[in-house]
Amino acid sequence: MRHRSLLLLTTVLTTGALTLTACGSRSDDGKKSGDDGSSGTGSNITLTIGVDAPLTGQNSATGLGLQYGTQIAVDDANSKKLVPGVTFKVKALDDKALPATGQQNATALVQDSNVIATVGPLNSGVAESMQQVFATANMVEISPANTNPDLTQGKDWASGKKVRPFKTYFRTATTDANQGGFAADYAYNTLKKKNVFVVDDKQAYGAGLAAIFKGKFASLGGKIAGTDHVNTGDTDYSALVTKIKQSHADMLYYGGQYDESELITKQLKAGGVNIPLMGGDGMYSDTYIKTAGKAATGDLATSVGVPVSTLPAAQNFIKAYKAKGYPGDYGTYGGYSYDAATAIINAVKTVMDANGGKLPAMNDARAKLVDAVQKTDFDGIAGHVSFDQYGDTTNKQLTVYQVKNGAWTAVKSGVYSG
Amino acid sequence: MTALLEVEDLRVAYGKIEAVKGISFSVEAGQVVTLIGTNGAGKTTTLRTLSGLLKPIGGRVTFDGKVLSRIPPHKIVSLGLAHSPEGRHIFPRLTIEQNLLLGAFLRRDSAGITRDVERAYELFPILGERRKQAAGTLSGGEQQMLAMGRALMSQPKLLMLDEPSMGLSPIMMQKIMSTIVELRSQGTTILLVEQNAQAALSLADHAHVMEIGTIKLSGTGQDLLHDEGVRKTYLGED
Amino acid sequence: MHTLPQQLANGLFLGSMYGLIAIGYTMVYGIVQLINFAHGEIFMTGAFGALTVWNCLPDGMNIWAALPLMLIGGAIVSVLIAVGAERFAYRPLRGAPRLAPLITAIGLSLALQQAIFVWYPGADNAKDFPQLGTHPYHLGSIAIQRNDIFLVAAAVVCMVGLAAFVRTSRTGRAMQATAQDPDTAQLMGIDTNRIIVIAFAIGGLFAAVAGVAFGLKYGQITYNMGFQAGLKAFTAAVLGGIGNIYGAMLGGLVLGIAEACATAYIANIPGMHQLGGQGWANVWAFVLLIVVLLVRPQGLLGERVADRA
Repeated sequence: MRHRSLLLLTTVLTTGALTLTACGSRSDDGKKSGDDGSSGTGSNITLTIGVDAPLTGQNSATGLGLQYGTQIAVDDANSKKLVPGVTFKVKALDDKALPATGQQNATALVQDSNVIATVGPLNSGVAESMQQVFATANMVEISPANTNPDLTQGKDWASGKKVRPFKTYFRTATTDANQGGFAADYAYNTLKKKNVFVVDDKQAYGAGLAAIFKGKFASLGGKIAGTDHVNTGDTDYSALVTKIKQSHADMLYYGGQYDESELITKQLKAGGVNIPLMGGDGMYSDTYIKTAGKAATGDLATSVGVPVSTLPAAQNFIKAYKAKGYPGDYGTYGGYSYDAATAIINAVKTVMDANGGKLPAMNDARAKLVDAVQKTDFDGIAGHVSFDQYGDTTNKQLTVYQVKNGAWTAVKSGVYSG
Repeated sequence: MTALLEVEDLRVAYGKIEAVKGISFSVEAGQVVTLIGTNGAGKTTTLRTLSGLLKPIGGRVTFDGKVLSRIPPHKIVSLGLAHSPEGRHIFPRLTIEQNLLLGAFLRRDSAGITRDVERAYELFPILGERRKQAAGTLSGGEQQMLAMGRALMSQPKLLMLDEPSMGLSPIMMQKIMSTIVELRSQGTTILLVEQNAQAALSLADHAHVMEIGTIKLSGTGQDLLHDEGVRKTYLGED
Repeated sequence: MHTLPQQLANGLFLGSMYGLIAIGYTMVYGIVQLINFAHGEIFMTGAFGALTVWNCLPDGMNIWAALPLMLIGGAIVSVLIAVGAERFAYRPLRGAPRLAPLITAIGLSLALQQAIFVWYPGADNAKDFPQLGTHPYHLGSIAIQRNDIFLVAAAVVCMVGLAAFVRTSRTGRAMQATAQDPDTAQLMGIDTNRIIVIAFAIGGLFAAVAGVAFGLKYGQITYNMGFQAGLKAFTAAVLGGIGNIYGAMLGGLVLGIAEACATAYIANIPGMHQLGGQGWANVWAFVLLIVVLLVRPQGLLGERVADRA
């Protein structure tokens, strides 16, 4: 019931938000048409893969990685003719990291009869608002970045009652249940931190990650020096810094995105509190270091997977990304976006092969694609790609990065095992 | 000779409602001219138009040889036309002295300004005693003195006084009227709008009776004072 | 509670910035009864103007030497936009129903944000802004940034300057007169259009100073920084008594200190743990506003409108 009224609301809001979306997608239009020209040779059908991510404003550095990671996968598929008779193209929509905008975009994508499936979004909070729209339309959505466990395992996952809410939702990134635990383990056992102050941004991703970290860190025997929440978009953290200083914490853990944490770490160090700030994949971005400058030195972030640059299979991808001069960070989710798009492309082939080499009618094709994606099994550029019964990736690799000499440096990779 | 102020066929409207419907009169230098009439006759509207606060829809106003239409109010002041508005409109949160100085806003001769401030205090000694007091704390009559003093500070060629006696006690009204007489004896040209017709007519050289936007009757102050119709309607005699 | 001095200082710095911006709201409101909702964006464009100057200066130039030039650059941009907005957006609507200029202001605010977002190179992400060093001075238990010293000093200089200007200058007297009675001010020979332009210009000037202080304090500026800052400054102006310049400054300081203390101490009150911290600071700031307006609808210094202008 709640979802239906949400949908209604969306339809009403879409009209009003048309102007905004038009502004947001400004930068993709030029790029897209250029890419089309080089690939539009086939005489057969064209299928669109949707992308939803923040392409402007907050989080856009990592968000653009989703768009162009998908774009390279599509270019590769077209030039290698992975699916004979099908030319793929990308339709990228900007959600500005806003759940409401994401939901409008989801509605727009399912209404576009050329869109077969979607890669995205970046933010877990945005994903929450989109899942129902895609499920109603039977359209596959693969996020290369969402890490909140609720999305695949339901609200009560922590108590062991795991229920998959939407069979159309998949992800190539592992969850915060693993990431938060991995971070707590590293902070307590490797860094020997005993007294951590925990802050989050009250969003689905940040609050979830911070809670998991806190629970794990406490169960390891560590002390929580204090907790606080901030608002996304805040700029002044001086009062918070004073609180942290008073708590004598030896580390600050932040659940949220780089937009806030880069300001927090700057003001923390400027306030004379020289403790590292640790966060999740949401702040694993070059923009964080660029903006925070020297203050970022020694800060830590966990991220899903292993560093893309160390993966032999990803070298061509990195080369292509750099050669095309695409903006944004491919480092965090670019590889996973490539693999997510490739999983969709492979599934299209599976569906067509089972139908005598032809694509079924779009509604049917979308529905059949859900089953085909569920059975995905191939080696992607960021590791093996397959999904468990919840739609989660079976690749549970994680890495801790630390800022050294102005760059994220991998300090530990591994699989978190509880 | 041409008059200091020449008003010809002046028409003013608020939206579609015409408040002044083509009036003509003139004020010669050194004269006191009064407009009398009931509420809503268009007297205040006429003064506000002369000082530029309202834009006429027709007619012509010439002041000291210059046509006034299209000149903004703050420029009209600099031509020598001062307007002491109905309801006094002193600046309540400024001191008495600051109010007077604002009256001399366009003047640059600080010695002359200081002298004229002192002259205003001579004219109205009560103002001098309270010069540092916020003007809003003055009584109605004192505020009227301040409004007149302030208007004089611009060294006007023509002083327009709108209802200077309104709401005042008889004693205070007497004081204000005798001040007008004194100004007149010093040669100040005055255009006076009054509801107190008796007082206004007895000191005016010329008078015009306004009724719903038109001038019904004109003459010398003494003539009108003795006109039967005027006595009936405006002086409350049967 | 031994962090109280530091938290008061934190609030004082933040509040000084709110106050500087709030002056622009309060001056314009005092004279034309218009809430210029685009003022937050005038603050933002001032910061971008100053950054442009910095980027045009030779690399490695001393920030202290560059600061005056940046202030001038930011002030030019802010003042031009503020005065332009008055001339071309608000003046044609003078005398129109109140809602018309209000909607215009909101539209102008969005337009300015989007203009910077689209046309300023790289403004779709946070832009780095130079800082006056990041090592704090220590005053007893209080750590103070050089950037914060600049902010407070700028706020004091601006306020004292403005107070002197309004009290003693001829134009200042004309502003007070116009604020109290615009029609009669015209009868004194005051060109009220000019006074309104000056009010917008002073608001723009102060907003530019605040914009530069913001950049120095946080080391970065964004195209949408004017939204939250503008909202807070408007709150400060109302809190202090809108139309009153001293009220704007006082309101800013009270708001800044309230936010800092809400962040720091509310959570320590038994039973209030869930309602404290930075995430709730804005809520408490508005609770304070509502309480003040219930007790004093005219704002803290609402009765001292004698000095408003």
